[in-house]
Amino acid sequence: MKRKRCSIKTVTGLVLLLTIVVLIVFAPLFTDYGPYEVNSDERLESFGREHLFGTDRFGRDIFCRTLYGGRMTLFSSLGALAMALIIGVLLGILTGLYSQTAFDVVLMRLIDVLMAFPFMVLAMVIAALWGSGLDKLLFAVVAVWWVPFARLSRSIVIKIKNDSSVCAARVLGASQMRIIFCELLPKTFSSVFVLSTFELGTLILSISALSFLGMGAQPPQAEWGSMLSDARSHFFQHPYILFGPALFIVLTVLSLNLIGEGLRDMLDPYEKTEL
Amino acid sequence: MKRNMIFRRIRSALITLLLSSAAIFALMRFAPGDPIDFALGLGPGDMGVNMDMLNERKAELRKQYDLDENIFIQYVRWLKRVVRFDLGNSMRTKIPITEELGRRIPATLLLSFTALVIESVIGLLAGFYSALKAGKFQDGFIRILCVLLGSLPAFVISLAALFLFSVKLHWYDISSRAELHRLWLPAIVLGIIGSPQIIRMVRSEMLSELGKPYVSAIQSCGLPKRMVVYGAFRNALLPIITTLAMSFAHLIGGSVVIESIFNWPGLGNYAMSSILIHDYPAIQGYTLLTVASIIVINLIVETAYLLADPHVRRSESRSLKAAREVRTHEKKKVFN
Repeated sequence: MKRKRCSIKTVTGLVLLLTIVVLIVFAPLFTDYGPYEVNSDERLESFGREHLFGTDRFGRDIFCRTLYGGRMTLFSSLGALAMALIIGVLLGILTGLYSQTAFDVVLMRLIDVLMAFPFMVLAMVIAALWGSGLDKLLFAVVAVWWVPFARLSRSIVIKIKNDSSVCAARVLGASQMRIIFCELLPKTFSSVFVLSTFELGTLILSISALSFLGMGAQPPQAEWGSMLSDARSHFFQHPYILFGPALFIVLTVLSLNLIGEGLRDMLDPYEKTEL
Repeated sequence: MKRNMIFRRIRSALITLLLSSAAIFALMRFAPGDPIDFALGLGPGDMGVNMDMLNERKAELRKQYDLDENIFIQYVRWLKRVVRFDLGNSMRTKIPITEELGRRIPATLLLSFTALVIESVIGLLAGFYSALKAGKFQDGFIRILCVLLGSLPAFVISLAALFLFSVKLHWYDISSRAELHRLWLPAIVLGIIGSPQIIRMVRSEMLSELGKPYVSAIQSCGLPKRMVVYGAFRNALLPIITTLAMSFAHLIGGSVVIESIFNWPGLGNYAMSSILIHDYPAIQGYTLLTVASIIVINLIVETAYLLADPHVRRSESRSLKAAREVRTHEKKKVFN
């Protein structure tokens, strides 16, 4: 009963995500326009047969730009997440393994400091100082986003580092490297995977929010956040311009959250569902 | 024992505060671009008509802002001034930053506090109901609703609300003043955006409380369900209050998007406009204020928790840990 309901969530999320990915990857098959194709006769059109999501102020087809923009958004978010994940998990395992040492104390202190900075504020400061652009934004994201992964994998490693399997490996003379990569890393995998589905969702939201404020990808580039920020100035007259990219952001994040929820329900035995 | 732990917390908060201030200082000092150029309104490639005079003026300003000293001395001097609440003058208006920030604090506090109240009411009611109906249709509905709400970017909700209520219905007027009749819309939006986290947290706290043996024990004694639930609720309240207080800290620091969309004259809006014109002291002051208030509120909450909770032992209690977990998530989720 419980299993079945959970898998419905995950399956819905997966189907949604796959649809979006297919639409984005095979974008040229679904649209006749180019993302930078300007048409001055068809500016600021509403939804219609010709232009599914309407056109923006340069007469560019928004549906097409959304699909092409998705490549940029998804690719950069995935890249940032992968970087944060690798840094976070490795640092987390190391501090877990050497907990109560100077290294651990210093790193936990660093994490405390980073957690005191609200992410939006830090990203804004970085954008203000180094200038705005997608690369700087991603740098800010990676600088902050490794923290949850490090905390999670640290707590797991502290719990399992004296398990018999790890001790056995040590007795058999496995090197520290081998213990980290063959014993500890696989055991953190499932929790880290669930966390990363959620984190990818929030990451996309954050990146698009910052791009919306004008700190991410810059306007001519097709990217969801920058399309939104482009639409912001004449939103009140032509609100439908916002619809396409906003819909795709919402659907992507929703699918990721659904997958994460479903997986967490399956993996987490502590969440009681019956009173 | 307890006094010792409180002392340790205060010490650790102070260290974090010091390190954060160093980080903020370093971030500002090592940023590319010469702050003096920004102060004079020069771009990277701009040339003056009279270079000698320009350089003289630059050197003068450099001395005025202490930029020609050793970096460590600069930091110590800066810190000394900060302790005396002197954050320097805004490069744009020449008004002291403390005054600029102080003028905007009430608006932000008002907005975050109202949002916190809305968030708590929605979170407590829906979370409590969801926990009571756990596993049933209503619970599933609320959880799906939480997932849906959590997937909506704040700026999409804000823009949609603004469009509906001010353009279509004319219930909300667009201006830049902090008046009571302009408060409701941003506060509701901010509250709704923050509520899924609170609903989830209240639900899981309630469920873990209801799963404890004492609940089964008093249930088997024949106590009516209403009283059982009430008792469990009171026990679950402590971690819930902790989390709410911590979410307040982040509401203060993080409502940049909402403030800038609704043109609410608070701290976030000020920071946003300072960033656009590279007003270094203002950005520095804002960041420092936000970080310091988050650290201080967290310290107060944790200390209060220690004093209030009879179960707290040497290590952190489970609920405090849970509250911190939620907080780390919330920090990002709420404000996107």
